[in-house]
Amino acid sequence: MEHISKRFGDFYANRDVDLSVARGEVHTLLGENGAGKSTLMNILIGLYQPTEGKIFLNGKEVRIESPSQAVALGIGMVYQHFMLVEAMTVFENIILGGRNSSGIFIDREARRKEILELSERYGLDVELDKLITEISVGAQQRVEILKALYHGAELLILDEPSAALTDIEVEGLFAIMRKLIGEGKSIIFISHKMREVLHISDRITILRAGQVVTTVDRAETDGQALASMMIGRELSGSHYEKRVSKDRPVVRLDRVDYDKASKHNGLNGVSLEVRQGEIVGIAGVDGNGQTQLAQLVTGVIAPQSGAISFDEKHVAVFDPSAFIESGVAHVPEDRNLQGLIGSMSVADNLVLKSTGTSAFSKWRGLLLKKNAIGDYSRKMAQRYDIRCTSVDQDVRSLSGGNQQKVILARELESDPSLLVAAHPTRGLDIGATRFVHDQMIAARDRGVGILLISADFDEILEMSDRILVIFEGQIMGEFSGENPPIEEISLAMTGR
Amino acid sequence: MEKLKRSLTAFIVPVLSILLAFAIGAVIMALLGASPVQALQYLLKGAFGSRANIGTTLSRATPLMFTALCACFAYKCGVFNLGGEGQFIIGSVAACYVALRSGITGPAAAILCLIAGALAGGLWGAVPGALKITRGQNEMIISIMLNYVATLFMGVVYTNWLRDASVPQTEAVPEATQLPRVVTGMRFTWALVIAVAVGLLLYYFLFWTSTGFKLRAVGFNMTASRFNGFPIKRYILTSFIVSGAIAGLGGAAELLGTQLRLINGFGAGYGFDGVAMALIGQLHPIATMLVAVFFAALRTGSTTMQAATGVPTSVSDIIQALVIVFSVAGMALVKLPEFEAFRLRVFGKRGRKEGVKA
Amino acid sequence: MSFVSNLLLATVRMAVPLLFIALAELYSERAGMVNIGLEGLAAIGSLVGFLVCFISGSTWLGILCGALAGIAVNMIYAVATVSLCADHTVYGMAMNIFAPALASFIYRVYFGAGSDLSQIELMRGIGLPVLKDIPFLGDLLFNQTPMVYIAFALVAFTVVFFNKTRAGLNYKSVGEHPKAAATLGIDVIRVKYLACVICGALAGIGGAYLTTCYSNTYSEGTVAGRGFIALAAVIFGRWSGGGVLLACLFFGFCDALQIRLQVASFGLPYQFFQMIPYLATIVVLAAIGAKKAGPKASGKPYRREER
Repeated sequence: MEHISKRFGDFYANRDVDLSVARGEVHTLLGENGAGKSTLMNILIGLYQPTEGKIFLNGKEVRIESPSQAVALGIGMVYQHFMLVEAMTVFENIILGGRNSSGIFIDREARRKEILELSERYGLDVELDKLITEISVGAQQRVEILKALYHGAELLILDEPSAALTDIEVEGLFAIMRKLIGEGKSIIFISHKMREVLHISDRITILRAGQVVTTVDRAETDGQALASMMIGRELSGSHYEKRVSKDRPVVRLDRVDYDKASKHNGLNGVSLEVRQGEIVGIAGVDGNGQTQLAQLVTGVIAPQSGAISFDEKHVAVFDPSAFIESGVAHVPEDRNLQGLIGSMSVADNLVLKSTGTSAFSKWRGLLLKKNAIGDYSRKMAQRYDIRCTSVDQDVRSLSGGNQQKVILARELESDPSLLVAAHPTRGLDIGATRFVHDQMIAARDRGVGILLISADFDEILEMSDRILVIFEGQIMGEFSGENPPIEEISLAMTGR
Repeated sequence: MEKLKRSLTAFIVPVLSILLAFAIGAVIMALLGASPVQALQYLLKGAFGSRANIGTTLSRATPLMFTALCACFAYKCGVFNLGGEGQFIIGSVAACYVALRSGITGPAAAILCLIAGALAGGLWGAVPGALKITRGQNEMIISIMLNYVATLFMGVVYTNWLRDASVPQTEAVPEATQLPRVVTGMRFTWALVIAVAVGLLLYYFLFWTSTGFKLRAVGFNMTASRFNGFPIKRYILTSFIVSGAIAGLGGAAELLGTQLRLINGFGAGYGFDGVAMALIGQLHPIATMLVAVFFAALRTGSTTMQAATGVPTSVSDIIQALVIVFSVAGMALVKLPEFEAFRLRVFGKRGRKEGVKA
Repeated sequence: MSFVSNLLLATVRMAVPLLFIALAELYSERAGMVNIGLEGLAAIGSLVGFLVCFISGSTWLGILCGALAGIAVNMIYAVATVSLCADHTVYGMAMNIFAPALASFIYRVYFGAGSDLSQIELMRGIGLPVLKDIPFLGDLLFNQTPMVYIAFALVAFTVVFFNKTRAGLNYKSVGEHPKAAATLGIDVIRVKYLACVICGALAGIGGAYLTTCYSNTYSEGTVAGRGFIALAAVIFGRWSGGGVLLACLFFGFCDALQIRLQVASFGLPYQFFQMIPYLATIVVLAAIGAKKAGPKASGKPYRREER
């Protein structure tokens, strides 16, 4: 790929990017969230058209205008969020699209034989007749790889393939990758996990803010150098002073169960407490019950057994409004779906929960004070650095970072005793992330208890006064936020 | 600035749609051998040409306003009430019973009729609402099925239970119970005043009260509303009941003011027309009422047009239908990112700079 | 015996138009397009079918033109929802208002406002040799109009198409996970347009059946809510060809029963019997609840370059 640029409106997601991948190598794309890795790959796969630049395959210039062309050219991608049809079987998912077979009807026997051959050759063990919903995340990934190979992929793109896997599964994945390059396939590996990058790569290209920083050989570099090139600054410890809170707990969970048979979407005997003025970080790989934990502590779902108490008071009514009454604030994991009313204005979203109060309406909500709402919103926009042309603008039209600031402003201004923040900086740029973190620390220092749930390990390390590790719905251990034992925590995150 | 831009787009799309629909209507008229200019002149004259004509237009707009406000209110809360027609009819049936069988007449009876109509309509609307929140069922299909049931039930009433001698229709509402005209010489009655009052009340409720604010939030995004502590099931059921009550009130008012008796075809088509008007009016109660007047004007005007030029009245139905086809597509179009990009390319980047302005 | 066999015979007849319209919706939803404008599509189909048949005297030509009219009108829906990403429900509703208005306009322009009810000659039944002589079942299944056979053949085709063919698998994936389909080189937009063509054609045929095979006149209420009952039939039939067939037979049975009971009367006003199909629809929907089994991406707009 030469001189690739991609513009969305005024924003360059990629600018003048060069990338070359040799046959039989694992080429890693390294970069932070929003560095432009996914955009670049979407161009290679034909989902986006580059604004400028050319793509060469085996020395010949190609134009990839659709995913089907990419498939025909032997480029296959395994997306971070799997592209599998859940209501279909493994077998059906693999043959879907099936360009390289003919005939009207599905020749199950022949296709099955082809797939089994491939799966044996590369050690990709799958059960063909199970539905996608019935198999594990690791198995789903093997299906994705098998699917790409079945469609004739010579160049395989793996987008953050280890994000949802346990350590053992990651080992298995690496074994498969080695087999693939051994057979002359090429792999573009996208990741920001240093350990894995150093482990498997042949060459590494670092992207930052849409541009290539450099391409280096694995042999000629080390983790520290890569990290500083990736972030553009030296890695340092936490910016924030850690605290040990001895204050009373604001929330306590006592052996809480929710759908405990489910490894990915349940909780099994979770007990924890968050004290006034501390940040408790929940570390763990995505999909180990974090979603359920956040929803339980905010009243969206009710536990199947066990107890929750606020300020030592036992909770009987599981309903978000009752929890909000008790002083719980929530920065939900999906801000557009769960946090904001996209079609309402910034101002409306800022006062979403408080229109009935005397500050914003007369006679118990019977007449809204629109001027007061406007004044308040402009004040908040300033205080929380919400960049918008006007507070009357639809909140949908703001950038992710500014949307998150709207939620943060609303939640923190409600004067909560507990803040539940789920992935509060996901998809945010560095500046916005920093701002969100600063606000959370300030809230902690005011005495707010904060439950921080994040799949971003660095964020957990940076922010937490105490760290709890969650794995398959269970709490695996508790660690101090001051000088946390990183190795131990990483192990706990994988279930050991 | 931002508000202005939004209301400008909200205004331009329906207006362009109406113009486009009339343009196609004119072509059809020409194809039928009439002069479009002349036909449109008669259309306009028929609708607004005299005090009497204006009165007729407003009188025809009245029931449309009720069903349009009914559709508007439910949709504001994110549920599709396609049962306006059934609720309208059931309201009129209830009112008819009170008017003919309660034994009282006069203004008190009229008020009782209106209350009965609203209650019956609300009850009829509660069925799809309740099935939606308890069984998660598709409220659209249920509410439409109930339209047919209501129409058939009304049939039972005017062919059997309240039948007026040999004719398949009910007796007329006693004169003392009827809603009087507001101005002599113009056909519209107090029903119009009630409709406008309901519309203004809805506007106030939706945009100036805390509960209305929350109801709109529920309509836009139910998940976020639940996460933010709003009792969404209660809002959905209530909005269905209120929406049904508005239509039921409309049915009662139409019976007492204009139709005076139940007869085959009473209320037919008002439900879907209401949905159309609410959508063209962008779910704004006041705009919705104006659209209702526009629809009514087309209908009254087209009678004059047919008499004078021979262009059939159903041309006006086509124009109405085209307005909805164009305006809904138009609203989707302006929301497309490609359209925004196009707008920016053509009109430059005014108002896109970042930063807070006081 | 004659009551029962008449009832079943009528059940099959009443189920057929519903079956066409429900299959139309099935093909639409399998590609992720929820189309509640079926009532309108069937209305225009019934008018055009009737009109063409009236002019040409050919029921077959009528049905063909009904299908074409359905396609033409549904293309408006296709452009608005697929290309402009308009809300499916809202636009379907717009079609429900537009198409019947168009139909009654054409009817009035052609026949004039006050003219007598024009009539046509209905399509005649064709008995299948040998099979029609099977006692009881012969009359029921093998002595019907060709449209009945076509409807049942279509069900069989649908079952095979979605379960046994590559094209069917690809088609289904568009309704389930359009992005995944796109990454595998399936042209999502094309499939969606194709779905709209199929949907328009089948709904148009369903409407045309009503005026050319069932009732020999046209009136504005001809479709009588079948477009919406068909929606319920797809939900009831769990989005499968076989399920839709059973659901349509059930609703057809309700309709047939209603007519038989009207004749028997029992001293009740006939309207109460006419309510049966509509009440049955409500009861069925309420009973099965909302176990969401339909295509996952149904009703959601699909955009290629989305960030």
